[in-house]
Amino acid sequence: MRVSAALPTGVAALLFESARRRRDAEERLVGRLIAAGYSEVILPILDYLEPYESLLTPATRGELYRFVDRDGELLALRADFTPMLARLLAPRLESLELPLRLYYRGDVIRYQEERAGRAREFYQIGAELLGLAGERAEREVLRLFLELATAGGGNGLQVVLGFAGALDGLLLAAGAEDPLRLAAAVARRERGEVRRAGSTLLAVVENGVPDRPEELGGEAADRLRGLHALRGELAAEFPGVLLTIDLAEFACSNLDPLLAGGEGDRPYYDGLVFHAYAGPAALPVGGGGRYDRLFRALGAEVPAAGFSLSLERLLEASA
Amino acid sequence: MIRLALPKGRNLDAALAAFRAAGIGLDGLDGSGRSLRTRLPEEGIEVLSLKDWDLPLYVTHGIADCGIVGSDVLGEVDGDLLVPVRLLQGRSRLSFIGREDTLPAAGTQVRLATKYPNTARRVVAERAWGAEIVKLSGSIELAPILRLAELALDIVQTGRTLAENHLVEIETVAEVAACLVVNRASYQRHRALLNDWIGRLEAAGVVS
Repeated sequence: MRVSAALPTGVAALLFESARRRRDAEERLVGRLIAAGYSEVILPILDYLEPYESLLTPATRGELYRFVDRDGELLALRADFTPMLARLLAPRLESLELPLRLYYRGDVIRYQEERAGRAREFYQIGAELLGLAGERAEREVLRLFLELATAGGGNGLQVVLGFAGALDGLLLAAGAEDPLRLAAAVARRERGEVRRAGSTLLAVVENGVPDRPEELGGEAADRLRGLHALRGELAAEFPGVLLTIDLAEFACSNLDPLLAGGEGDRPYYDGLVFHAYAGPAALPVGGGGRYDRLFRALGAEVPAAGFSLSLERLLEASA
Repeated sequence: MIRLALPKGRNLDAALAAFRAAGIGLDGLDGSGRSLRTRLPEEGIEVLSLKDWDLPLYVTHGIADCGIVGSDVLGEVDGDLLVPVRLLQGRSRLSFIGREDTLPAAGTQVRLATKYPNTARRVVAERAWGAEIVKLSGSIELAPILRLAELALDIVQTGRTLAENHLVEIETVAEVAACLVVNRASYQRHRALLNDWIGRLEAAGVVS
């Protein structure tokens, strides 16, 4: 009998040269993480669904592979490392010495509609820095991300920077009937819809930032000034990377409770947030940010920042 | 060089007219749509000629930086694209079509034929009636005529085809417009040029 070599949708087997290429890239990145003082955590591929229930959005819930185990427990396949690591560490934080520098590597499984370039199983490498507050941690994490993404062979790397809640004040002040819809329109740069909400948001849609940081209001204005400084510093250090600040890109990363329930795909970010594209086809290769509120939701108070990179995408971009 | 994807079919004329009105030079372009790939080196533009349904995929993957595609198609195959403006010319409606001018009564279950199953599912989910959604690839209006389905969800432009076939446009579900779509990463890279194009399209009054 001949057996078929076909695999389920969205997964792939790497053989020979393609396996070697991925392992080489993986070792290169892991080497950098170890050199930067990060130690490895190995996490299970299966976990209970229950600890994550309150963290899920409609979008992330739809991606989960869930099933009932033989003993009746509801389980889910790992779709994201960060919440899993957070839920394992949150109850143990008091006995751990901070700051903690951790990295992980492995597969995540997410249901995606069948389309070119949308794998359901993909290999991530990521790092988390716990217990270090403020800009120092954000700078360390972003710098490490840039180092890894460039070392991973990401040609023509573009990194977009912003921070969660940057536009909350403007979105709420616009007096829109549905501020979440307005946030989505800003993120999609729908000018017709945004124009009705005022000139500052329109400037953000056009240029990524308002004409003057003050237009964001108090704390957000200070954060934007800080981000400009960080961008300038890292742009000088990584001249091959196009680093831009674009607050519209993160219009759905909100902090104000009145804007809760937006469709942000990783809704736990609450400070710096960034994502990267690589290669001539501009594939999304990874991202990260600060996510203190993820731990808070799990009952622990600790500053946390981190990132993840998709190894397949990085390799594809460097091919 | 920026790569612009233009659709074959009904949105091509609207797209070309809008770019012409905005003074965005596509003069060297063969309007027949037979050429699949045209370089316009003086303008710094490469034009790709793609099928409507494939276009969002090319833009999502950054193979084209931007393109023009109908909002009907975007609603079905939405990648993570930016949609800065919608063209005014060539607008149409996405409507429920049937043999009689009434929607199904609350609690009833009907069959609905469409090219847009995802959109149909979203719309029907908010109704008091249910529908088995049948995906067809063309001539959707035939389905209610030949009684394959009680209802159809399809594009209506003038309504002439419907009238000729004794069909009724029962309810408009959405306005359909050709949209400028932009790849997220390309927008960072070509922001000045794209903002210039968008500004010129707005100034020419051909978009909203």
